[in-house]
Amino acid sequence: MENNLKTLKNTAEKGIKQAKNLKDLDGVFRLYLGRKGELTGILRSLKDMPSKERSAFGKEANEVRQVLQEAFDSRQKELGWSNETQEGSIDVTAPGQKIQAGHLHPITQTRRKVEEIFGSMGFVVADGPEVEDEWHNFDALNIPAGHPARDLWDTFWLKAEINKKPLLLRTHTSPVQIRYMQEHKPPIRIIAPGRTFRYEATDAGHEINFYQVEGLMIDENISVANFKAVIQEFFKRFFEKDVTIRLRPSYFPFTEPSFEVDISCVLCEGKGCSSCEHTGWFEMLGAGMVHPKVLKAVGYNPKNLRGFAFGMGMDRLAMMKYKIPDVRMFFASDLKFLKQF
Amino acid sequence: MLFSYSWLSEYVKGTMLKPDKLADLLSLRSFEVEGVEKKGSDWILDIDVLPNRAHDALNHSGMAREIAAITQKEFIPFVQKKAKVEKGSLKPLKVTIQAKAQVPRYISYVIEGIKVEPSPKWMRDRLESVGINSINNIVDITNYVMLETGQPLHVFDYDTIRDQKMLVRLSKKGEKIEILDGKNYTLAPGLLVIEDKGRLIDLAGVMGGKLSAVSNTTKNIIFQAANFDPSTIYKARKELGIITEASTIYASGIDSNLGEAGLEAALSLLKKTGGGKVVQIIDIYPKKETSRKLNVSVSEVEEFLGVKISAAEIQRILTPLGFSVSKKGDSLSATVPSRRIDVSIVEDIMEEIGRMYGYEKIPAVFPSASLLPPEPNLDLFWQERVRNSLLEAGFTEVYSYSFIGEKDKELFQYSLKDAKTLVEVTNPTSQDFKYLRSTLIENMTKAVEKNQKNFSKIKIFEMGKVFSNKNTLKERTMVSGVLTAEEFYVLKGVVDFMLERLGISDAWYDEHKATPEQSRVSLWNSKRVAEIKVGQEEIGFLGEVSKGILSKLKITEKVVAFQIDMDKLATLASEESEWQPTSKYPAVIRDIALLVPQDVKVVDVLNAVNSAGAKLVRDVDLFDMYEGKEIEAGMKSMAFHVIYQSDEKTLTGKEVDAIHLKIIKSLNDNPSWEVRE
Repeated sequence: MENNLKTLKNTAEKGIKQAKNLKDLDGVFRLYLGRKGELTGILRSLKDMPSKERSAFGKEANEVRQVLQEAFDSRQKELGWSNETQEGSIDVTAPGQKIQAGHLHPITQTRRKVEEIFGSMGFVVADGPEVEDEWHNFDALNIPAGHPARDLWDTFWLKAEINKKPLLLRTHTSPVQIRYMQEHKPPIRIIAPGRTFRYEATDAGHEINFYQVEGLMIDENISVANFKAVIQEFFKRFFEKDVTIRLRPSYFPFTEPSFEVDISCVLCEGKGCSSCEHTGWFEMLGAGMVHPKVLKAVGYNPKNLRGFAFGMGMDRLAMMKYKIPDVRMFFASDLKFLKQF
Repeated sequence: MLFSYSWLSEYVKGTMLKPDKLADLLSLRSFEVEGVEKKGSDWILDIDVLPNRAHDALNHSGMAREIAAITQKEFIPFVQKKAKVEKGSLKPLKVTIQAKAQVPRYISYVIEGIKVEPSPKWMRDRLESVGINSINNIVDITNYVMLETGQPLHVFDYDTIRDQKMLVRLSKKGEKIEILDGKNYTLAPGLLVIEDKGRLIDLAGVMGGKLSAVSNTTKNIIFQAANFDPSTIYKARKELGIITEASTIYASGIDSNLGEAGLEAALSLLKKTGGGKVVQIIDIYPKKETSRKLNVSVSEVEEFLGVKISAAEIQRILTPLGFSVSKKGDSLSATVPSRRIDVSIVEDIMEEIGRMYGYEKIPAVFPSASLLPPEPNLDLFWQERVRNSLLEAGFTEVYSYSFIGEKDKELFQYSLKDAKTLVEVTNPTSQDFKYLRSTLIENMTKAVEKNQKNFSKIKIFEMGKVFSNKNTLKERTMVSGVLTAEEFYVLKGVVDFMLERLGISDAWYDEHKATPEQSRVSLWNSKRVAEIKVGQEEIGFLGEVSKGILSKLKITEKVVAFQIDMDKLATLASEESEWQPTSKYPAVIRDIALLVPQDVKVVDVLNAVNSAGAKLVRDVDLFDMYEGKEIEAGMKSMAFHVIYQSDEKTLTGKEVDAIHLKIIKSLNDNPSWEVRE
C-alpha cells in the first residue's frame, strides 16, 4: 500500500511537471485529485480500513494529497492560470456609464468664494428682505424723496404698502446694511450678498433681477487706506492673481467721499487688451466712506465712528471668473449652460 | 456733457495738456471722460460730470477751473461786464415773487433795442460742436452763457408781457401751458410758473412759454437768471417728463450768486451780437448766501485718508479749487467758494484733498481690528447644507426670475382668489414680469418645458424668495426640487435624504387636505400630493404637478416637485442638530411581507410594526409594493425590512424571533391583513 502511494506520488508529480498547458494539467488533476481520481479513491477507502492502520496510512495519504495539491497549484500558476481567465474579456474602449452629477449655479459658487474670502477677514454674512420700504432703500441712505439722486436707481414699485407707504423691490443690498446697523452695535464688519432689482431694459450687461454683494466696515479708526487694503486683498484672492486696484472720484449719496474702483485687467495684467478696451483696467465696484447722515439715520454717533462701504455685481464677478458674455444666461435655466459648472 | 477742448483752453493759461492725457487725468482726479473725439481742428470730450457737481462743473469755465487745478495751471475767469442801467423808453417791468420759498434769487435785465439775427459763425460753430443747434443770436446767447458759466438763462420778448407784470408762483391743479416745444401741458399743483396778466408765460426753470417767446421781430427782451428750488424743478421734470439742460442744472441746485455773473456774461456777448441797452435791473435776493468755513487738521486728514499730508500741501491743493485757506500750525480753516454747494461737511473737504493729492498715493493698510471670528449666519448655514444635499442627490441648481407674467395666471390655473394674493408690480417692464412669483415651482416647470428637448430626465432645484399678499405682504425663502420621468416616491426619497442631511428625523407625509395654507391647490395633481409635516406643522408640499398644466406646456413626461419653507427647515435643523449616539451592538434584519386592502397606507403598517416591536425595532423600510395580476383584486402586497437592534446588548436569534413573531401576530390580528409566509 505504501509503495503504491509513493509510486502514485511520483507518477502524479511527473505528470504535473510535464503538463504543457492548463488543459493537460486539468487532465492530470482529474486522474489523481479529481472526484473520481486515484488518490481521492484511496482517501475514500480509508474508512474501511482497520483503525490501527488507518491512522498512519491516512496521515501519509493526506500528506501526499497536500504535496500534490501544492505542486498542482504552483504548476497552474506557471501555466498562467488566474481566477480572471475564467471570465470573458471586456472591451475597455466601450464608454463608461454616465453619472448624473448635480451642479451648483455659477452665482452660488461665486458667492461662496466671496463669502469665504471676506469671512477669513472677519466679515459676517448678513441678509435681508427683497421687498423693501422707501426708508430702508432710500431715505436712510441719504437719498431723500424729490432728490435727483433717486434717478440713479430705477425702481420697481409694488401695488402693496406698509404703513400707507408704497413698497418696492430693493435696488441694492444697502438696506441690509441699514437693518444690520440698527440691530448691532459697532464695530461692524459685514457683507450682504443677494438678489436685487432694477427697472431697466435687459441686454447682455443688464437684467431686471441680478445679484450684488455689498460690504460694510464701521469702527473708530477706519481710513481710506484700510479700504484699499481690504478690497485689494479680496480681488487678489478671488482672481488668484496679483491684482492692483485704483480709486477714482465718484458720487453716491450714502458715501463721502465716493469712489469708483477699477482693478487691473486680469486677462492682460494691465497691459491693455480687447477685454479691458485697451485701458488695462476694469471698472469693478462703487465704494466710499460711509456718509455721517447714514450713521445718524441708524442711531450711531458719527463723531466717533467712521467706516467704508462698497458694492459690486456678483453676476459681473461670475461673468469675469467664468468668461460668460451675457448676464441673461444666469437666469435662463438652460441646463446645457448650467451643467458646465 | 460734451466739452470743446478749444473752448476750455480759453480759461486755462498756457498750453493745456493734450486731450488724451487730459482725459486720463480728469478720470483719476475729477470725472470720468467717456470719449475723446476729433472734430475739425477741435477735440470734443464727453465728460460724465458727477451729479453732485452739476452746479459748478457742468459748464466750460467750471470744468476749466478743475482742469487748471489738476494740471497746476492758472485759471482765467470768463468775461464779466458790470451792467450800467441806461435811460430807455420802456415802461418798467414789475416782477412779484409769490413763491418765496422756491425762489431764493430772481434777477433779470430788461434790454431795449436788440436785433434778432443769425449768430456769428464762431458762436454757431462753438454751440454746434457741443451738440446745440443754433437758433438766433438772442436764444444762442442764453445757451452759450449756460455752457460757459453754468447759469441757466431764459429770455422773454418784453413786448409780449401783458401789463408789464410778472408773477412767479406755484401752479394750481389743472392749469394749462403751451411751451417752446410746441406741446400743451396740464399741470399738477406746486410747479413753478410765471404769469403775466391772467396767462402762464413760463414753466420756470424747465422751458419757456410759447406766448412770451422771442421771435425774429423781437425788439426788447428780458434776460432772466433766477435760482429755483431744486426739488420743485425736479418734480416738474419728473411729472411732465421734460428733460432740459437747464432743468438738470436747476434740479441739482445752483449758487444764487451765479445769476449776476451769468447776466454779465450775456451782456458781454450782446456787445458782439444783438446790441441793445440795459434799461432796468430787477434783483430780488432776500437772503444772501453766506460763505461756509470748514476746519480740518493734518492729523484728521491722516486718520481719515490714511496718509500724512502737510498743512502747506493741503493749502496748495485747496486754493486752486477756489477755497481760501488760512493755516495755523497743523490746523487749517477753509472758506468754501459759494458755487461749491456740494461742500458742506468736513468729509467733503477730505474728498477734495484726497482726490487732488491722488488716491493712488494712499497706501493700502490693513485695519487694526479685533481678531474676533465672524459669528455664523445660521440661516445661511442651513441653506448651504440643503444646496449641498441636493447637489449630492444629482440635482442642478437653477436661478429663475422673481417674476411671473399675466399669461402664467391662466397657464398655472390660478383661481380668482389665488390671483388676488399675487403681489403686482406697479411699473412692470413687460406683461411677462407683472407679478412677483408666489412659488418657485411655476418658473421651474417652465424650465422643464424649455429643457425637455435636450434632456430625457430633468433634475433641478432652486432656492429663493417667494411673495404673497393676503392683507400683509409676506416674503419667504423656499427650496424646491423638480424631477421628471420618475415616480413620486423617487422624489420623496430625495426629500428624505435632504431632511436626513439636516438631521430632521421626525418629518412625515400627510395626505393633502382640502385647504392647504401655503400652496395653491390647482398646481398639483390632487390625488398625488402630500403635505410634508414635522409634528403638526406643515413645512411644504410634495407631489405630481397637475396634468392640465403639463399639457398646456406640452410637457410629455411626468413632473414631480416639492417646495419646502427654508426658514422653517433652518429652525428645525438647528433644534435637531444634536449628536445622536449610535448603538455599538449589531443589528439583525428580518423581512415581513403582507397582503392588505388597497386603501391601507404604508404608514398604517409602519405604525403597527413599531407599536408591536417597541423600542427594539430600530427601523422599518418598505422595499416592495405591488398590486396587479398575481394579487387578489382589491388587495396589494407590501414587503418590509425590519431592523432590530438594542442599545444594551447583542440580540440573540431567539430574542429577535420572539419579537418578530409578536409583530406578525399583531399584524394578523387585523382581520383584513394577511402576513405571507
